[in-house]
Amino acid sequence: MSFLTRIVGKSTSFSGIRLMSVYPQHYVEPIVQKDKQIEQKDELTKLHHIPIKAALNKSSDTVFHDDTKEKLLNYITKKGNSALARTLLSKAFELIKRTQTERLNLAKGDKDKVITNAEVLLKQAVENCRPLLQVTAIKRGGVTYQVPVPITTKRSYFLAMKWLLEAAREKERKVSLPEKLAWEILDAAHGQGRVVKRKDDLHRQCEANRAYAHYRWS
Amino acid sequence: MKMIRNRLAVQLQRHVLQMSMSTNAAAAAAPAEGAAISEFRTAVTNPGEHSALQVAKFYTIPAEQKKQIFAGGGLPKQYEQQIKTFTEACLMVRNPALEVLEYIKKADLSKPVVRYLLYGENGTGKTLTMAHVLHYGALNDFLLVHVPWAPNWMKRPKEASNAAGQEGMIDLPFDAAAWLVHFKGQNSKLLQRLELKTSKEYVWSKRESTPAGSTLLELVEHGIARIKYASETTAALISELKLLSTAGKCKVMVAIDGYNAFFHPVTRIFSDNKQRVTPDKITLTHPFLNITRYDWTNGVCILSVDKIAMTEGHMDSYMPRYLLGTEGFEHLDPFVPIHVENYSDKEFHSYISYYLDRHWINKTPQGFEEQLKFMSNKNPYALMQLVRAL
Repeated sequence: MSFLTRIVGKSTSFSGIRLMSVYPQHYVEPIVQKDKQIEQKDELTKLHHIPIKAALNKSSDTVFHDDTKEKLLNYITKKGNSALARTLLSKAFELIKRTQTERLNLAKGDKDKVITNAEVLLKQAVENCRPLLQVTAIKRGGVTYQVPVPITTKRSYFLAMKWLLEAAREKERKVSLPEKLAWEILDAAHGQGRVVKRKDDLHRQCEANRAYAHYRWS
Repeated sequence: MKMIRNRLAVQLQRHVLQMSMSTNAAAAAAPAEGAAISEFRTAVTNPGEHSALQVAKFYTIPAEQKKQIFAGGGLPKQYEQQIKTFTEACLMVRNPALEVLEYIKKADLSKPVVRYLLYGENGTGKTLTMAHVLHYGALNDFLLVHVPWAPNWMKRPKEASNAAGQEGMIDLPFDAAAWLVHFKGQNSKLLQRLELKTSKEYVWSKRESTPAGSTLLELVEHGIARIKYASETTAALISELKLLSTAGKCKVMVAIDGYNAFFHPVTRIFSDNKQRVTPDKITLTHPFLNITRYDWTNGVCILSVDKIAMTEGHMDSYMPRYLLGTEGFEHLDPFVPIHVENYSDKEFHSYISYYLDRHWINKTPQGFEEQLKFMSNKNPYALMQLVRAL
């Protein structure tokens, strides 16, 4: 997105609504990644006189950083113990890499097909688990209907990651969270597993209840 | 103009990175074919031939040798995992190991044994240095007296019982038997070839005894079969080894990891009156202290002192004098200290290329190597922990 569209988008849309932000509307998002800064260098010169929001505390430009990963970390965290969440996730990534690397070494012929990058696999898994619709309970004439409603992209990502984590947490006590999470991510990345099935079930329910769809607005 | 030049530079760097990645991919296939060898590998698999030329390069331990030497321990658990994942047992040739090997090669074995003491910060590669030297020993007809991790006996013994015959002493029968199995696994071939005989009769009980002139293998097997006498068997075996090597019938390489555990103030073993015992009250300690004296010849001792062999409150410094204490230091004096340090720049770079080759690092943004270097301080273990999620 070029910076002009960003500014225009900010200033025109929702101008009447007060957003929960310490920044006025005309502030633009910072660009944290160094390679992106270099990429958009000539555009950035136009930003000289436009105020920029401060970068977030957690944002970083290291090898260890990945947006999907950070998001999932927030969901894993319990009671603010994000250090623990980070070790758990990196253990899960390690397990994913181990299985994939072993698979790669055992694979005959086409070795490029096996992905050993755990972050790519996580992204694939999340993409495969994203629902398009969900059902909400709406009461009409004393009867509650399960009405299919579309959801935003952001919520679909949230649901996908939440489901992955719920599936990972549903385990025997002997199995560790990283182990189960690694299995679920690997399964989901290949379009199999319980989470993908859960998504399909939800879609099926939405399809079955499509006659109630109009209750959303009437 | 400057901007264009910058951009060109970035593109060029990316191009080079891609090129190097593609060569890495090619290298991954290479060892299977046995053709070209990447620059971070060396084809010299005999540690005896390693020299400064091979520094910072990886050599592969053949599978059957690895099984013979390290089946009962000797490589860190996480390194074993790495070996399994990478489907090859690779060790980096590093300076401390080369230093020890050179000393051993040049040493006059008819003189009293020289004690080499590996020391260094946590995770710098003391155990792997020892593994490298052990590999040399195994290939050069040394009998290996190898304790993979001595603190295991003091910290988490399988079973502790009162020693028969010795008042106030504690036996660790299962650990002693496990060590005997380890010894047999490492040396069975050599023992069969050398046909070493015991010098005197060992009487275990009224009915059981090992007559003078029976082979060492029989002695060891007796200890494994009769776990009750495993500790005594260990002591007997080690005193026999000392006699035999002094007589020139065999060469012995002693390798004890976490040697300072023998001089720790207390252990986690309780005596009958619910008191923690000191390591010198454990029967298994004495033979290994005995073999690290310098009153015998035809052998080498490679020992390591480690901070994590101690318990909390005793881990302030990694220096031998601190870790061994007065008693231990006087026991070992004089020894050759060998400092195991963090990676040098060359070693670090080599390790990164190895990880890339094995598909263990999958993200290669610009400057990632610098970041890893900064974060890990070039410490091998820290690097291993950092790259696990990349």
